[in-house]
Amino acid sequence: MKKLHEGKIINIEKECKDTYKLSFKSDLRDIEAGQFLSILCPPKTLRRPFGVYDFNDGVITILFRLRGDGTNYLKNLKIGDTINFNAPLGHGFIQKDKKALIVGAGIGAAPLIYLNKQLKEKGIETRLISGFKEEDEVIKGSDYNKIGGTIVDEVEKYIDEFKPEVIYCCAPYIVLKLVSEIGLKRNIEVQVAMEKIMACGIGVCRGCIIQIKKKDKIENRSICGDGPVFYGCEVAWE
Amino acid sequence: MGIDLSVNFNKIKLKNPILTASGTYGYNTEFDDFIDINKLGGIVTKAISLKPRLGNEGDRLFETECGLINRIGLENVGIEKFLEVKKPVLDENNIFYILNIAGNSFDEYFKLAHICEKENIKAIEINVSCPNVKSGCLEFGTDPKTLYKLVKGIRKRYKSFLIIKLTPNVSDIESLALAVQKGGADAISAINTVKGLGVKLDYINNKFTKSFVQGGLSGKCIKPVALSMVKRIKEAVTIPVIGIGGISNYKDVLEFMCVGADAVQIGTENFTNPNVTEIILKDLENFMRENNFETLEDLKRSLRL
Repeated sequence: MKKLHEGKIINIEKECKDTYKLSFKSDLRDIEAGQFLSILCPPKTLRRPFGVYDFNDGVITILFRLRGDGTNYLKNLKIGDTINFNAPLGHGFIQKDKKALIVGAGIGAAPLIYLNKQLKEKGIETRLISGFKEEDEVIKGSDYNKIGGTIVDEVEKYIDEFKPEVIYCCAPYIVLKLVSEIGLKRNIEVQVAMEKIMACGIGVCRGCIIQIKKKDKIENRSICGDGPVFYGCEVAWE
Repeated sequence: MGIDLSVNFNKIKLKNPILTASGTYGYNTEFDDFIDINKLGGIVTKAISLKPRLGNEGDRLFETECGLINRIGLENVGIEKFLEVKKPVLDENNIFYILNIAGNSFDEYFKLAHICEKENIKAIEINVSCPNVKSGCLEFGTDPKTLYKLVKGIRKRYKSFLIIKLTPNVSDIESLALAVQKGGADAISAINTVKGLGVKLDYINNKFTKSFVQGGLSGKCIKPVALSMVKRIKEAVTIPVIGIGGISNYKDVLEFMCVGADAVQIGTENFTNPNVTEIILKDLENFMRENNFETLEDLKRSLRL
């Protein structure tokens, strides 16, 4: 059930360039990889959505990259401060009992590290590959990091060598689109976690809409309410 | 002794003056995880049109200082599906609701009014002021003669509680309020969003890249505009006024009542704090108890002295 929670900050540290790791304790009992929480960042009107980087015994850890007022608010939090967050929101990755290739780029790698952990705990064989622009932007935790260029170039190679039965992806829009196209071509299921500016976070305001194909009809889906995870083959990519 | 927060609009009676604003609350039980909706005076549904609408393409949101610009474009399920899927949930849960309707022509508004009458919907709010649809309802909300004709036509077809929601994007709000009253509406709600422009500007590789989000501004930043409009409307007409615009706490509610609002709607703050309506209600009640106001009418009288 969605609920407002209070989180007590127990750690905040720099992960890499412009990227911070924030851990807080709350009464949240469960959150799946790919689901998100939305944190109140006063005085901003909109809450900021974040995927989960780790969740352990009531302690949630997120990674965030500095983008503006909201993330600056988070960066200035101190141990012992409290935050107000809404969780768990949206639908996470549908974790299949299948060999999984996990593809991340930039800050999109964060929720995939949690997904990778959850899959491994279930005894599923995985490969997590991530792309970053620069060496100092690398988020640790992947099996392979590509610096510069695009991680998309590595996906087919991993399909050939690792032979995954499903691909999970969280990355900028263009990467999600290209990986979905590869999945279609190679006949492998792709699940993508999408992001857009959100207002309500619960599917009400229709602010973060994407379009999906249902047979030959186009339908709207809200990223926050129906997603953020969608099947790549369903999305009507721009 | 219990405090009487009720608002009597003759045709309808609200148990308290706290309503949710259209477009910020979905259709029925979407906020059930956060509040007990039956504690509120009621909800105003997302705007419903005659046919379903997919809404606008491209970016729909732009956050501003203390506010939000949206250009959703009236995405909604359409009246048919509303009656089939959403209304039964409202009825089953005994939720008092005001159906917000929007049209593109006289004919569409009149058909919707007729359907609402036939379906015995207790209260409707007419959106004559959505700034986000091309060739849309804004035209109806900016010209007094057109608005009068529209309200009169709807009134003829719909007998229950009729609210007209006005846009602030006009220079002479008084003449529009008077047109609404003359047309036979039961109340005015104001304001809808303020027309605004968000500019996204980047400077990359010695070149500007830009994009615009043209839409309706809402949130705390529009409260002074809303207060001014409500005051002007209240001074022009005798029908009740429902105040909307940037309300985020009970003190804002007092301010709106002070300038003439008989009830209020909470909009954008629902996104920031999904339980805000219940908090406002509780705080308003506490304020009244601590200061010995037994009824909302007493409070309003005192505020308007």
